[in-house]
Amino acid sequence: MTRTPRNTFCGRTRREFLGQVGCGFAGLPLVALLSRDGFFANDPKSNPLHPKSPHHSPRAKACIFLFMYGGPSQVDTFDYKPKLYPLDGKTIDIQTKGRGGTKGQGRVVGPKWTFSQYGQCGKHVSTLFPHLAQHVDKLAFVHSMYAESPLHGSAMLMMNSGSLLSGSPCLGSWVNYGLGSENENLPGFVVMLDETGGPISGAKNWSSGYMPATYQGVVLRPKGAPILDLACPPGTTRPMQRRLLDTLREANEAHAAARPHDDALAARIASYELAYRMQQHAPEAVDLAREDARTRTLYGLDDERTADFGRKCLLARRLVERGVRFVQIYSGGNHNDHNWDAHGDLVYNHTRHAGATDRPIAGLLQDLAQRGLLDETIVIWGGEFGRQPTAEYAEGTGRDHDSAGFTMWLAGGGVRAGTSFGATDELGNAAVEHPLHVRNLHATVLNLMGFDPNRLSYFYAGLDRKLVGPQGAEPVWDLIA
Amino acid sequence: MSRAGSSATKAPLPLRAVSVAPRSPRAANRALALLLAAPLGAQAGVGEWSYSRLTRLEAPATRDVRWVSNPIDAFVLARLEAKGLAPNPRATDATLIRRATYDLTGLPPSPEDVAAYVADRAPDKYERLLDRLLASPQYGETWGRHWLDVVRFAETDSFERDRLKPAAWRYRDWVIDAFNHDKPYARFVLEQLAGDELPDASFESIVATGYYRLGIWDDEPTDPAQAVYDDFDGIVDTTARAFLGISMGCARCHEHKKDPIPARDYYRMLAFFEGLKPYKDGGGNATTPANYVKQVPVDFGHERIEEELAAWRTRREALLAEAKNLADEAIARLDEPSRVALAAERDAGLVQRFDRDRPAERRIPRAVQDDFTIAFRFASTEIGRGRATDPHWFSGSPLVDGEVDGVTDDFGVALVAGHVAAGTGNPDMSVHSSGGLADGAPHHVAFTRTRGTGRIALYVDGVLCSEATGGTQSLAAPATLAIGRIGAIDDLRIYARALDAQDVLDLCEGGGFSRSTERVVEQKAGTPESKRWRTAVDELLRLMRPVRETVEVLCAQESGTAIAPSFVRQRGNVHSKGDAVRAGFPEALGGGEPVFEAPAHGESSGRRLAFARWLLQADHPRTWRVLANRIWQHHFGRGIVRSSNDFGRLGDEPTHPELLDWLACEIVATGGRLKAIHRLVMSSSAYRMASDHRDAAFDADPRNDRFWRFERRRLTAEELRDSILCVDGSLDLRRGGPGVYPPMPAEVLATSSRPDEAWGRSSPEDAARRSVYVHVKRSLLMPLLSSFDLADTDTSCPVRFVTTLPTQALTMLNSEFTNERARVLAERLARERPGDERAQLARGVELVTQRPARDDDLARLTALAHDLRTEHAASPDDALRLCCLALLNLNEFVHLD
Repeated sequence: MTRTPRNTFCGRTRREFLGQVGCGFAGLPLVALLSRDGFFANDPKSNPLHPKSPHHSPRAKACIFLFMYGGPSQVDTFDYKPKLYPLDGKTIDIQTKGRGGTKGQGRVVGPKWTFSQYGQCGKHVSTLFPHLAQHVDKLAFVHSMYAESPLHGSAMLMMNSGSLLSGSPCLGSWVNYGLGSENENLPGFVVMLDETGGPISGAKNWSSGYMPATYQGVVLRPKGAPILDLACPPGTTRPMQRRLLDTLREANEAHAAARPHDDALAARIASYELAYRMQQHAPEAVDLAREDARTRTLYGLDDERTADFGRKCLLARRLVERGVRFVQIYSGGNHNDHNWDAHGDLVYNHTRHAGATDRPIAGLLQDLAQRGLLDETIVIWGGEFGRQPTAEYAEGTGRDHDSAGFTMWLAGGGVRAGTSFGATDELGNAAVEHPLHVRNLHATVLNLMGFDPNRLSYFYAGLDRKLVGPQGAEPVWDLIA
Repeated sequence: MSRAGSSATKAPLPLRAVSVAPRSPRAANRALALLLAAPLGAQAGVGEWSYSRLTRLEAPATRDVRWVSNPIDAFVLARLEAKGLAPNPRATDATLIRRATYDLTGLPPSPEDVAAYVADRAPDKYERLLDRLLASPQYGETWGRHWLDVVRFAETDSFERDRLKPAAWRYRDWVIDAFNHDKPYARFVLEQLAGDELPDASFESIVATGYYRLGIWDDEPTDPAQAVYDDFDGIVDTTARAFLGISMGCARCHEHKKDPIPARDYYRMLAFFEGLKPYKDGGGNATTPANYVKQVPVDFGHERIEEELAAWRTRREALLAEAKNLADEAIARLDEPSRVALAAERDAGLVQRFDRDRPAERRIPRAVQDDFTIAFRFASTEIGRGRATDPHWFSGSPLVDGEVDGVTDDFGVALVAGHVAAGTGNPDMSVHSSGGLADGAPHHVAFTRTRGTGRIALYVDGVLCSEATGGTQSLAAPATLAIGRIGAIDDLRIYARALDAQDVLDLCEGGGFSRSTERVVEQKAGTPESKRWRTAVDELLRLMRPVRETVEVLCAQESGTAIAPSFVRQRGNVHSKGDAVRAGFPEALGGGEPVFEAPAHGESSGRRLAFARWLLQADHPRTWRVLANRIWQHHFGRGIVRSSNDFGRLGDEPTHPELLDWLACEIVATGGRLKAIHRLVMSSSAYRMASDHRDAAFDADPRNDRFWRFERRRLTAEELRDSILCVDGSLDLRRGGPGVYPPMPAEVLATSSRPDEAWGRSSPEDAARRSVYVHVKRSLLMPLLSSFDLADTDTSCPVRFVTTLPTQALTMLNSEFTNERARVLAERLARERPGDERAQLARGVELVTQRPARDDDLARLTALAHDLRTEHAASPDDALRLCCLALLNLNEFVHLD
């Protein structure tokens, strides 16, 4: 009497899954590779990274999440609030909740940049993003985002994993769990960090939580060896390593011959050959010397201010081209003004970070579009929350965190371009029209990638866990073309 | 796996139950009603066994009786025979010693151990091997780690600051010690859940309650009230999974989907823990350490100190009387002017004196700055500010203190977490006593300083306890000294000279011990007397007062005996109170209302103790089965119930339910002493089987559900790292203490938001200690360990994943760690087999595989070394090093047959 649970992915029952964990998970990520080499009969469902069919025909094959860590201010970027300018410096009654706690009053900081209209859609964009503004007809803005926490630690976890608490897999992990990998020479979930350091909570932001490490994000560095331990150590050349691997394989095959039918041994032998190939392919994937001067300029590699983020955007395109499913790039790292967390001097902070990212992001959109990749690649822009219309301190232009209403945008991959969705109140403080929880954003991304977010589940600790939580979440249909 | 399959496995054995009566028919009916009423009732019967009381079963009869070494084998063999299968033959001796050594110690045997074992002809050699391994301290480190996985042990809180949990390592050491001392499981459970509520609470049992403080904790939550219940949820979920084999977490928000656990049961269970103080009382990101950290005397519960103090007092008074009598007799023979002069000598250099008859001085002018002595008596029951782990004088509560903010040429004496600490500034130099001086008794303190040498010395109760060399400048900065900000101070004397040890004793005891006195005894009483005097004084100068050292302990704390009402929180929302509930046991497990008995100390309600005692009933449906299953899991590679945290409907059916029950009863019968159970399990023929493949058996039972063979396995992350260090000869087997910080690759540090402060630095020796001692920081794990499937740190990990990924191969081939280890191994080979490459390689094979090298091994490795030298221009050293790297990558090294 076999019963297939309704809401379980891949028709796998929880007991089968637990059984694999207990005794049979060894070697599974490589089964696909091995079966091509004649090791196994076809049993694709036992390989967690084997390319899989999603629930429905996907609009997007890949996703690039441009994470503006620290929280960019909506009213200074894309959420045009003309009524805010004349209130500059005035203290008004306003309900806010941020790092400084819950307040009923605040001194307005008028937007520090002017807005103009762009594109056929006539979208208002501030002068912080002159290059990106040229692409507004590719973008779908969401002005009514809200999150459950106005504090970095938990808000970062929520934006990445849907939960305020650490221990759950991230969006990138879910995408790889659901779709598998198209390129066995590269990780399926790649994270690129800011030069100044990781975001707070570090690796928790690309953790696979209760899923196996197979699905966790791999940190990729834009300079030097892109992946930890990818380069041969000093004193060892590639031919030397090849020679070593030959001996190793011979010895391991002799060992395995005396132990027939052991998938784990076979998989480990194959993993060394795969690693050897990765050492060849991964540097190629990140080798920007192959990009022509026009492309390099497009991404801002010719300007010191934009070169770092531009390099990462260009890498993201190259990775997506090569089948990587999920790429996350952090703008900002470390603490304080090293990221978008503008508590003190808003103008200094946002000029710095927008200045470093505007041209690269515009370049990425244009490049993806001209190569026909934008149709199948979702680009997401946003932070873990936004910023308040009022000042945090008695002096200065710094804004406190605002999770009650903030702006994100999406592009490509089946997103309805040239639109704006939802709205904050007239001061840009809180979402009032079509408020969208972070889970709705996640649900939309999963939907575009071919999944019913309320069915994509992973059985763990007594529950079919979902990225959108036990309560579930609907995709935002208005955002889908 | 189809249901039909699992029910078929249940049918064939004729079993005779010794006792079948459930504890209370009413409870059983209630449980059954819940089972039937549960959603998905179509599968009634699935998992039902796990709600029944534990009963003792007889082993079944088998056709083959020779294979049956003990009842375990009867249970295993009966199921094999029912399917027409035979067990694998016995593993070779070499395989068995390697298997057993890893199994019990997490380390490889030495090649010499293997050779000696194989050559041993004694019939009891296997039993002796098990005895030796079980007695080794590495046993506790290995089996303790299994438990640390289940309780999601980590030493930081996660989230933005990922703060250090103070002294969390003491809990880790407690677990390891518990296994090594074969602490009965009941005591193991009681101490963790209610170590502070036990009538015989001890230092160790308080440390064990650190169990409650291991989870993730957001120090800056957006909803502080909800965060308190998130923390309780972590406790309920981990406790339910670890001890009961139930995932209860989902019942927080709704009725449990599959298991008969209603939300009400969840909140009744939570109520057992609801008295625990939260991590913080206020807002912001400040913590309230007093709620979860306590200063506990290290001998708490052992009552050594009173006896030691009595012995010290007796001895000291005898010595004092001896010396004093001799001195008094001699002094009595002095003429009056000499007596006056002798007394005056004691006061030489005395510049300030304050007694209780001149009270209430809070600040006095500083009168000394170069050479000086500050002496006084104090008594305090408050321990003073600052931390016992770093008793620096200026971080404590002032006794006599010249510390002024922003001024560095200063000095002072303070009480720091029960330690007297003293020191001078610029550069800061501090000396301190042992802890435990805040015991309410009077203590004499003298702090001396000599400018010429910079020497500072601290004496407590007339005995030197610490000295150091500080700066040699004039300490002219403080204009005044603060007096007695803590406790009571009396008999304060400040001298403009540094007293010596005898002067200090003389001062402490009111005369009779100075060098001048010694001369008087010599002159007036004679040489034998002065020798007796000298002997007594020498011993007095060394005779330290025993102290009750107190240390920081991460532990459970409640606010008192009162029990506040508990409520169901609707949909898990703390702000949405539902029905009031009282702490109570899950209905499906028999239910019942506990009786609470608050402990005599009045600091807690006794709820947790009641819960722990309920868990430990001899016929509890879960406790002993869950434990038996975990033990089986770590010996055989999988549990009898594969989902070892989830018994019941959510988990796998047991492949051998009768064996599980029998083993659980056996644990109860041995008093929960696990070493006996390891011996029993490992003595079975089932454990000693070979892991070889057999086509026919594989076709009939591909998952090895019936244990026709032993499962081959890969080493765990810790075993892998420890084995590498072991074979190259560097593994440092020192035990316990704060976590160590092996070097972390810079690329990994760069992922932290504060790369420079993210990780500590340990000495090379510490960096080569066993992996169980590596500091566990939730946001920054060692890449070598995490890539080999270290347990997730945020939730209870019952079974580790075993993934095989190319990135693991990259780590093993290219990381600084493995290349450095290969270099050290090559050095070892060159040292042990100088000048003979073939012998070096043979020794390498032997160390890594623990068997003699074969011709084919040597042919491959000598060819590799040769080619590296001749075709790749490698030096002989580099060639040997790369051969060693190949050895460390062998499947034979990282897999166990």
